[in-house]
Amino acid sequence: MNNIVFLILRRIRAPLIAVIISFGIAVLGLTLMPGIEVEGEIFYLSLFQAFYIISYTATTIGFGEVPHEFSTTQRLWMTFSIYLTVISWFYAIGNIIALFQDVSLNIAITTSRFTKTVKRLRDPFYIICGYGETGSLLVNSLDRMHIRVVVIEILQDRINDLELEDYQYDIPALCADAQLSDVLIKAGIRHSMCAGIAALTNNDHANLAVAIAAKIISPSLMVLGRAENADTAANMESFKTDHIINPYTLFGDHLAMQVHALGIYLLHEWLTGIPGQSLLSPDCPPIGKWVVCGYGRFGKSVVNSLQREDFTITIIEANPELTGCEECIIGNGTESKTLEEADIKNALGIVAGTDNDVNNLSIVITAREMNPELFVVIRKNKRYNDILFDHYKANITMQPSNIIAHECLAHMISPLLAGFLSLVRIQTNVWANQLISRLVDTIGEQVPETWTIIIDDFQAPAVITLLSQGVTVTLDNLARDPSNRDTKLELIPLMLIRDGIPLLLPACDFHIKNHDQILFCGRMNARKTFSIVLGNYNVLSYIISGEVIADGLVWRWLNKKFRRKAGTLP
Amino acid sequence: MNLEKVVFGFFIVLALTLNFGFVIGDIDNPAHHHPYELYAAIIVNLIATVLKFGDRTQIGAVHLSTSLVADLQLIMAAILYAAVGDTPAELIMINHVVSLAGGALLANIVSVILLIAETLSLRR
Repeated sequence: MNNIVFLILRRIRAPLIAVIISFGIAVLGLTLMPGIEVEGEIFYLSLFQAFYIISYTATTIGFGEVPHEFSTTQRLWMTFSIYLTVISWFYAIGNIIALFQDVSLNIAITTSRFTKTVKRLRDPFYIICGYGETGSLLVNSLDRMHIRVVVIEILQDRINDLELEDYQYDIPALCADAQLSDVLIKAGIRHSMCAGIAALTNNDHANLAVAIAAKIISPSLMVLGRAENADTAANMESFKTDHIINPYTLFGDHLAMQVHALGIYLLHEWLTGIPGQSLLSPDCPPIGKWVVCGYGRFGKSVVNSLQREDFTITIIEANPELTGCEECIIGNGTESKTLEEADIKNALGIVAGTDNDVNNLSIVITAREMNPELFVVIRKNKRYNDILFDHYKANITMQPSNIIAHECLAHMISPLLAGFLSLVRIQTNVWANQLISRLVDTIGEQVPETWTIIIDDFQAPAVITLLSQGVTVTLDNLARDPSNRDTKLELIPLMLIRDGIPLLLPACDFHIKNHDQILFCGRMNARKTFSIVLGNYNVLSYIISGEVIADGLVWRWLNKKFRRKAGTLP
Repeated sequence: MNLEKVVFGFFIVLALTLNFGFVIGDIDNPAHHHPYELYAAIIVNLIATVLKFGDRTQIGAVHLSTSLVADLQLIMAAILYAAVGDTPAELIMINHVVSLAGGALLANIVSVILLIAETLSLRR
């Protein structure tokens, strides 16, 4: 803020001096000009009267000639003064107005406002670098999940988009290059409440720069880096970026998961989804002979994953030397001849994975004409083609922005969730299916909220008090409705961590201890009620014992008396 | 020689001398205190203030604040003078006008001392 004041002061120096000097001359001259004769004496204007007259003349208000009519000499001087003061006055006004439209001043003002807002944040927040397709999706989800974010974006247009968006929280956004470390510092990378930073720009190099800067400035911060090239990913790995997100590898993994464990895949998608969205049940790709068009970053990852699942794959690639493809049919895949060569009629599925949306659509349309039973996986590159892809109902559409956003959410919602999901991956499909049906029974088919609590004085004071009184508190106790203990809340404990050891799906009668970390998922209402159970001693003891504790001292004393009489208390 | 420094020093010293010229004389005698001198002092003081804008150093900030004090007192004096000028009250009120201007004089003296201190510390 200080800088801005100095900038303004420095700029308006010349116009102000011009105004002062011109006023000085005009006022002085006017007092020296002899006026008309009043009561036999020549009337001179006093300094104050002259200042008054010049003031209203310079500002072009013009009250006329006061207190008496002017003499010719005074009028001569006024004519001169008008030109002198009006011009200098307008010069000053113009300068000051221009100053407020000045680009550099505006940038200075928005930057200082942004820095202040970030400094004032009192909740944990994430820094998102890049508000493109991925960034906007992620910001939207985090905002719905009541997680605060700060955005850095290099294009002003996108910042304008963000400002027009209807978010429940105020999202501080700065139009700047995230590669500059002072921008990161302004965005709060050193802030004590900063929970992590996600470098999600569409430029791998910029993401790398952000990740390095973040790791150097505050090494303990969680850094998520988007890397589409293997080199960048390796580079990020070398300085221990916490999570490296490569949309192509991720899609390959997800596709493989869809093939061999649909339940696990579904669970993954569901828990990292945007709350409120409903769950779609995806198709399971058939195992057998497949055709992959395009052997770029996407194609390679898909081929790798599918080969792991014992698929037979024919590759069609237009430029085999560039992509390092050894065994392939040369061509685009858009012509029926190439597809025939790849024996599309006997194939079970096709992957259209070139970096051109029109080509991809053309490939799958031609292929489906030749073999209507084909299972279609299509890569979508640009968001503005959304409508085309929606109309063409492919079995699986790969959207890099969605995949990245889901992956970021898994890490950002709660560190426990990422741990849970990695444990889920080594479970059987049957286990996952059972969990899903249990989730659907309790929560419904909407994407649930996921949250973590730590049993301590801050988050669960009621539990701590009861535990210290020697009362056993079970998980089931926490998941009951405060207004009626027979009703269960719509939530499910997913994982409990005690002394660093995770326990998947803890049983209802599990006894809670101090410092336990528990991952829950459930409806939003349940989450709100749940915090009451944790925080209110009376509510929790009602749920456990079924007796309502009197709030006031008098009632408590009366209760005691009454019970002693009845002989229930010694 | 730096033209900026010349102009800066000129206005600061001129502000002091004009202010002094107005204040000197019997405090209760309007004949010893000419309104034009007060007027000139105000104009020069205002210019000196604007010249001090935008200096980020510590001494620059103190310069600006002394100037603002002088401006404030001189303008108060001028308003008072404009109100009582050419009225019978002038004889009584003139010493208030002069004492206000005298306060501004002190601020201007501090300003000049700062100027000297700054010049000496440069040693060029």
